Amino acid sequence: MNYFAASELHISIAAEPLFYVNGFPITNAFVTGIVGTIITIVILGFVASKVKRGKYNRFVGLVQWVFEGLLKSIHDIIPDKKMARKITPLAVTIFFFVLFNYWLSILPGVDSIRIGEVPVIRSLTADLNFTLGLAIVTIVTVQVYAIRHLGVFGNGSRYFRNPLKDPIGAFEGILELIGEFSRGVALSLRLFGNAFAGEVLLIVIAFLTGYFAAVALPFFMAFELFIGFIQAYVFFVLTLIFTALAVAHHGPSDAHSPAVTRKVVTARK
Amino acid sequence: MNILTQFAAETATADAGLFGALGIDWRLLILQIIAFLILVFLLGKFVYPWLMKQVDERAAAIEKAAEAATAAEKAAADTKEQVAELLDKAREEAAEIVETAQLESAELLSITEKKAKATAERIAADAKAQLDKDVAQAKAVLFDETLQLVALTTEKLVGAELTAKIDENHIRKTLKEQA
Repeated sequence: MNYFAASELHISIAAEPLFYVNGFPITNAFVTGIVGTIITIVILGFVASKVKRGKYNRFVGLVQWVFEGLLKSIHDIIPDKKMARKITPLAVTIFFFVLFNYWLSILPGVDSIRIGEVPVIRSLTADLNFTLGLAIVTIVTVQVYAIRHLGVFGNGSRYFRNPLKDPIGAFEGILELIGEFSRGVALSLRLFGNAFAGEVLLIVIAFLTGYFAAVALPFFMAFELFIGFIQAYVFFVLTLIFTALAVAHHGPSDAHSPAVTRKVVTARK
Repeated sequence: MNILTQFAAETATADAGLFGALGIDWRLLILQIIAFLILVFLLGKFVYPWLMKQVDERAAAIEKAAEAATAAEKAAADTKEQVAELLDKAREEAAEIVETAQLESAELLSITEKKAKATAERIAADAKAQLDKDVAQAKAVLFDETLQLVALTTEKLVGAELTAKIDENHIRKTLKEQA
């Protein structure tokens, strides 16, 4: 007699293809990502249309409240108002998109609904393709803003310095360059790791608790909702901090603003 | 590294490398980056401007309300100051009025007292004069009556009616005897 909801655990670190279109793999995370994208567009579009017409309800108020909070964070981290306005679409989209997609990982049937042996539902945030892509977008955007703000040579001087004139600075520049790559990798792996671990946790709990999963899983799902919010906010804040650090870079001896330094320390913890 | 490749062993059949083991497909990666950038563009074009406009309007309204509140507070403070000034002025005026009234009443009292004293003195003087006059009149009447009485008594003693001429003669005789 099988007391477990699932007879065997199926854990794959990579998103699995459900089918192929002209040799292009359509993975379960990709399909769930399309759903997440639609949800993001529908929710934010609905709120924008309501705001446009001046019709408010609790849901619109809630989204507006979150949006205002994000805007406040952006202005706190990036004091330059113009730059804050420019980075807002990217940062806020990262937050909402990551949040909604992360929350899709708690949908019932994450592991149980399958086509063949492949689970249909897998959060897009649990796919390294997406998290790496998001990190690349963030790092490239940061570089674009840094070049706009400091100029090509100004930005280049953050990484490349004459080792004969300033050996310590040259070494620091190399570290800075390595740091840029490590930031991108850390961004992607942090989100992927949390989302993937969250899905695995839910699958394992469902597997271990059997029919009692109906009682046990809601607690873990609520926990995952919270973690999803935290991860979305962390990605959002780190995007802003990297931008602020890049444009506020004046030289090796200059300290960053206390607010940015404090946020960096907190985020790294 | 081995752990990762072990986990992904089932799915990473074609790509044997690390990226393949982690499920990284460059085509998917690029597609998802493009899709995300399109999403950012769409939301940035059609959604966020309205939300930001609303936030800006609210911030402007709050700022305006704060300014109005500050102005109202200042106006209230000014009004309070004015009221305090008016009250001080009113108190000063009231004090002046009270002081003037006290002075006037004291003066009036003094004048009234003087008038009353003068009237009383005049009444007393009049009464004294009247009294003196009455006394003098009474004395004169008494003198006349005494004279008549004396005359009558003398008539009875002399046994003849005394006329003025006789009386005069008697007086002259008496004066001569005395002399």
